[in-house]
Amino acid sequence: MSLFLINLLLAIAWAAVSASFTLANLIFGFILSAVALYLIREQVGYVGYLTRSWRVISLAALFVYELILSAWRVTTLVLSPRMKVSPGIFAYPMKVDRDGEITLLANLITLTPGTLSVDVSDDRRTLYVHAIDCSDVDQTRADIAEGFERKILEAFR
Amino acid sequence: MILEAQNYISGFLIVIGAAFALVAAIGVIRLPDIYSRMHAASKAGTVGSGAMLIALAVVSDDPATTLRALAAVAFVMLTAPVSAHLLAKAAYAVGYKLWSKSVLDEMPKNQSTGRKQSP
Amino acid sequence: MSAGEHFRDFAELIALVLLCMSFLVTVFRFVVGPTLPDRVLALDLLVTVAIGFLAVIGIRTGFTLYLDIAIALGLVGFLATVALARFILSRGPAGETSIEEDSQPEAGSTK
Repeated sequence: MSLFLINLLLAIAWAAVSASFTLANLIFGFILSAVALYLIREQVGYVGYLTRSWRVISLAALFVYELILSAWRVTTLVLSPRMKVSPGIFAYPMKVDRDGEITLLANLITLTPGTLSVDVSDDRRTLYVHAIDCSDVDQTRADIAEGFERKILEAFR
Repeated sequence: MILEAQNYISGFLIVIGAAFALVAAIGVIRLPDIYSRMHAASKAGTVGSGAMLIALAVVSDDPATTLRALAAVAFVMLTAPVSAHLLAKAAYAVGYKLWSKSVLDEMPKNQSTGRKQSP
Repeated sequence: MSAGEHFRDFAELIALVLLCMSFLVTVFRFVVGPTLPDRVLALDLLVTVAIGFLAVIGIRTGFTLYLDIAIALGLVGFLATVALARFILSRGPAGETSIEEDSQPEAGSTK
């Protein structure tokens, strides 16, 4: 995280030196300082920072993709003349246990196809998820475990 | 040339977003119970208004406006699941039942949800 | 006016019509909606659609001030939904137990 701050500081320094605080110039400065940090990666332990930020970016990309997919699924479901829904609530055993990660996982589950998180059990091990199509619960559980939970663990551990 | 592309992209995004908003509204009408309706409202509605805000970001010439529009998109995407989650939790805790044709309910009956205030 | 501006103008008109239709449909659920959570959900969706509506109006008029109004509306709508959820929690069912008036008591919760 301190490397991120250094990166940000260098970006601001770049904007100050080049005397234009526009958005595009700040982004350019950020990329430039990331490259500069990459050049001295041996000294500052940059390798972990790079892979971690790559994982956060890939989590965000997966999230946007799943959000658009889920909106499309809702569209086809709602506009089909004969709606085939079999809703239900299933329990999902979580591997993540920190508060922030649980919040992130619950939010991501809510915005992904056909699932909506309803509640967390008191011992914070189980997430209760409402699914609009409960015909294959094990497949849904496996999707969450292989998709989001694994990405979250990769990005924040 | 760039302005033309801006116009086409934003027009396209506006229509897509409005169509998703309409889908969310129709879903809220057609789906059988409150929990299924939340799916339509939280997903299609978020994508709909998000697409229209991105269209505003694309069409504006001012970087500050673009940044604010993108911040608004992030804000909508952060708050929509939280409010849907809270509403589902409150409805379930109070005892609004699932649709009678629901296939599964693995939630324990005595699951305590939040603090129950005395009326 | 160039071809792109014509296209955008037309797209704005279509979008405004679609958004008005979604407002009407959501208001229908708000009026009918058999239980309180349904009404709160309809209100939440109204706020979400209104944010998009303000974005389209902002594009159409060129006043980016509408964007600030949209952000403020999003804040107020989020807080309203949270407060109403707490209200549902504290009020209890108050007679309305099921979404459908269905006589099966615990259907679907057998497994």
